[in-house]
Amino acid sequence: MRHGRLEKADADEAAVNRVVLPPKDEAISLLRTMQLIRAFEEQVRSLFFGGIIPGLVHLCAGQEAVAVGVCSQLRTSDKIASNHRGHGHCLAKGADVRRLMAEIMGRRSGYGLGRGGSLHIFDVVNGNLGTNGIVGGGIPLAVGAAFSAKRNGRGDVAVCFFGDGALNQGLLFEAMNMAAIWRLPVVFVCENNGYGEFTASEHVTAGRDPKARGASFDIPSEAVDGMDVLAVREAARRGISRARAGEGPSFLVCTTYRYGGHHAGDKQEYKDTAEIEAWRQKDPIERLGRQLQDENLVTSKVIAALKGAVETEVREAVEFARAAPMPEPQDLGLHLYA
Amino acid sequence: MPNARNITYRSAVLEALAGEMRRDQNVILIGEDVGAAGGVFKQTDGLHAEFGEERVIDTPISEAGAFGLAIGAAMAGQRPVFEVMFGDFITLVMDQLVNQAAKVNYMSAGQFSVPLVLRTAVGIGANLGPQHSQSLHAWTAHIPGLKVVMPSTPADAKGLMTAAIRDDNPVVFFEDRMLYNVSGEVPQFEHVVPIGSAEVKRPGRDVSIIATSRMVHIALAAAELLAHENVSVEVVDPRSLVPLDIDTLVASVKKTSRAVVVDGGYRQYGVTGEIAATIAEEAFDWLDAPIMRVGGANVPIPFSKSIEPLMLPDAAKLAAIVAQLLHGTR
Amino acid sequence: MKVSPLDRKTSLSIFDRMLMMRYFEEAVLRLYQERQFASHFHLYIGQEATGAAVLEALGDKDLICTTHRNHGHLIGRGSDPGQTMAEILGRSSGLNRGRGGTLHASDPSRGFLSTSAIVGGCAGLATGAAFGIKTKRESNVAVGFFGDGSLEEGLVIESFNIAALWKLPVIYVCENNSAGAMGPQQGGYPTAITATDSFTRLPAAYGIHCVKVDGADIAAVYAAATEATQRCRAGQGPAFIEAFTVRWPGSSPLWPEPATVTDLNEAWDPARLKGPHVAWLRDHDPLLRTARDIVAHGYVSQDEVMAHDKDARARVEAGAAFAIESPMPLSETAHEHVFA
Repeated sequence: MRHGRLEKADADEAAVNRVVLPPKDEAISLLRTMQLIRAFEEQVRSLFFGGIIPGLVHLCAGQEAVAVGVCSQLRTSDKIASNHRGHGHCLAKGADVRRLMAEIMGRRSGYGLGRGGSLHIFDVVNGNLGTNGIVGGGIPLAVGAAFSAKRNGRGDVAVCFFGDGALNQGLLFEAMNMAAIWRLPVVFVCENNGYGEFTASEHVTAGRDPKARGASFDIPSEAVDGMDVLAVREAARRGISRARAGEGPSFLVCTTYRYGGHHAGDKQEYKDTAEIEAWRQKDPIERLGRQLQDENLVTSKVIAALKGAVETEVREAVEFARAAPMPEPQDLGLHLYA
Repeated sequence: MPNARNITYRSAVLEALAGEMRRDQNVILIGEDVGAAGGVFKQTDGLHAEFGEERVIDTPISEAGAFGLAIGAAMAGQRPVFEVMFGDFITLVMDQLVNQAAKVNYMSAGQFSVPLVLRTAVGIGANLGPQHSQSLHAWTAHIPGLKVVMPSTPADAKGLMTAAIRDDNPVVFFEDRMLYNVSGEVPQFEHVVPIGSAEVKRPGRDVSIIATSRMVHIALAAAELLAHENVSVEVVDPRSLVPLDIDTLVASVKKTSRAVVVDGGYRQYGVTGEIAATIAEEAFDWLDAPIMRVGGANVPIPFSKSIEPLMLPDAAKLAAIVAQLLHGTR
Repeated sequence: MKVSPLDRKTSLSIFDRMLMMRYFEEAVLRLYQERQFASHFHLYIGQEATGAAVLEALGDKDLICTTHRNHGHLIGRGSDPGQTMAEILGRSSGLNRGRGGTLHASDPSRGFLSTSAIVGGCAGLATGAAFGIKTKRESNVAVGFFGDGSLEEGLVIESFNIAALWKLPVIYVCENNSAGAMGPQQGGYPTAITATDSFTRLPAAYGIHCVKVDGADIAAVYAAATEATQRCRAGQGPAFIEAFTVRWPGSSPLWPEPATVTDLNEAWDPARLKGPHVAWLRDHDPLLRTARDIVAHGYVSQDEVMAHDKDARARVEAGAAFAIESPMPLSETAHEHVFA
């Protein structure tokens, strides 16, 4: 099975997305955050197979550009709603790496006192309405936050991240309709990685073009190369500015790829290795690194140093989390009610 | 009751809504036909005119999406009152209610709360058929993280709606539309009934009837009938299902030694089972007879006039059941 | 699109269905006013051409799903007026033995599935029926009738996706009666709160074949329905037909009013038109229009039309009388049919 839109996407998206280089500091920050997410996911994967992390985790290695490109355009007070594959969204929106790791390990020092885990990570300080265990579940939450932002009049916006699987949820349709009618400041970001769990999206998604689903409400809808953080950043900037200017919602369909399975431990028998290799050639971190070197903004040494630094940060987070206490029995009833 | 005057149940809830919307700019009303139309039962009449379309919002027929929006708005600082037009349609919002609203505070360890009210009208008796007559309050009462209230009188309706809006948790507010035109004494100004407080609606000595919502009125009528036979019935109204005021219920049963629990939802796996079991746990040694349960018939609610009334007891039937209990036959 | 007129046989067959639908609904309203039943109810007046023409294009084995606005579909399909009226009156001789009432009346013997009064519900059921047909390799189709309000429910969209993906033989008939306007109706019950400027864009995004028709034009509706059934039977997948009608003035959200009373003579004698709704009668009443057209085509004379009219009225009256005389369900039967 192939990711249906691999070749077609290249041609379409190259036309639409012109690459705009940000200033050096920002460019390095984009690179660093993607590296952070990559390093974090690799640690989580390894801890999962080491039996340290309970339950299931859904890793986003390969998809970093979308989280980072979009969140680079958001303020702290803007809101995001994430999905089950959300560690990248959380980090890109500014989560504390140690508290994030601790939550995934089910420790009391985590964002949810260990009761949420990977699927339920909330970060109020950074406007993160949560990763979510229900496909599409976070979408209307973001629309509601956008509704609230519009009432507040401070120009804040909301973004919801969801996968191609959520494209077929009735909830997305209802949320888009309302966002459009009421011109809410929300950007719908679909990370189309070609698979809804173990099924290729072309087998479950009718109609040739997911963009049409937003376009049928006259929501400005774009196809974006989700492996190019600069393209994502530009498209996000367009959507977010529209939202801040009171022009209503936008819809970005970002073609991307997850190197891993649906969850850690998924043997990915539904993919062929050639496909994975082909996508690795488009790796977003490598790509940005090359671009920045080509422009003489960084050297390979700097890139290596950044990588080393984030790996150290993640290792420290792991140590912190492993040393953190487990929740106590008397914690059970805490925060049942406000 | 200070400053009390006679108004209908419908008006009492409306007063609470309007009062809270005036007091707190963050309170908004979201639902189908709640704005321009004033509600299909005129239960939100006048609010759109006073507060405008920014605060009284008519949604498309998209219950799940709209309720999710209300939850997100609550997490971001609004205090929505979300109306589900018919109680049966709560099925359409169940995922958002159960998996999001009820759990956000817990999962986020208190970082986010969901200060919203989900109000819905239920009630058998208008020949609305199987998909427009159900009261699914037992489903919502089953979910940790939600509060559930069922006022039976206009005063309680106003007081509980006010309390529900002020509560920082998701509160599900069930109103019986057959009570909309029932009048009662209601305080004119601010009136709050604490969530989780039951009330003895009629004191008595021989038997406790614990009844919810419209069943309170049936119970009171049955008590009148039984009074003619020198039976003194105490009617207790829990008013809130979650949290349940067990102390008041138990105090009553310890006094009378006999209990009948009456509720308008389907009997199977319903509210009467929960309350009866709780009383048995807390007051077993005071009971002189097994606890009786009277609930809705375990059938989909039929449309036809001749059999729809069989779904629920009337005063005479309830009185007969109580009489049987007292005379030791079942 | 201008479609050539239908032949005499088809035209008259459709017209007869429409007559039955109209008089049945007028009888329902009358019986409601006489307090023969209580409930919310929804009338099909003004939409007859759509239902009748679609039903004409179906075969006996095709399956149908409808909504709270079901009377027209049942009567148009040939359900017994007596049993249908009896159901609305809650009698034990009703189609659903008095358990469903106006909101859930259904006739499985004529291919109706369960009638859902949850907006959007029938789209899911119709899609499922089509799945069953395809699985059994039959050449039948399933039709889902619903209104414009249904296109706000996520379930309908999920159904579109699945039907398109699996090429299911389902025809979605959207009866858009929102007076031709998108968005909330002026000053009253909003029947469409949507951000799209054209409903067909929604199913089109899923690759579903879409057609818009004038819902009061029997030839156009019949042509669209015939094309759709042929596509389905040939395995080409689902179709969506949006049929526009101008809402009957007597339609309110909960309590219909007797805004007009049918007199076919008004079709060829406009001087007879009177009252506050002359414009609707003259320009939008599908029954008057069709009567006018079949006479104009030379298929029947005015006298013959009035004979059909009299016949339909008599059949409906007989049905109403049967219903009124029918017994109410017995208490002992209240618990029947909970389980199979």
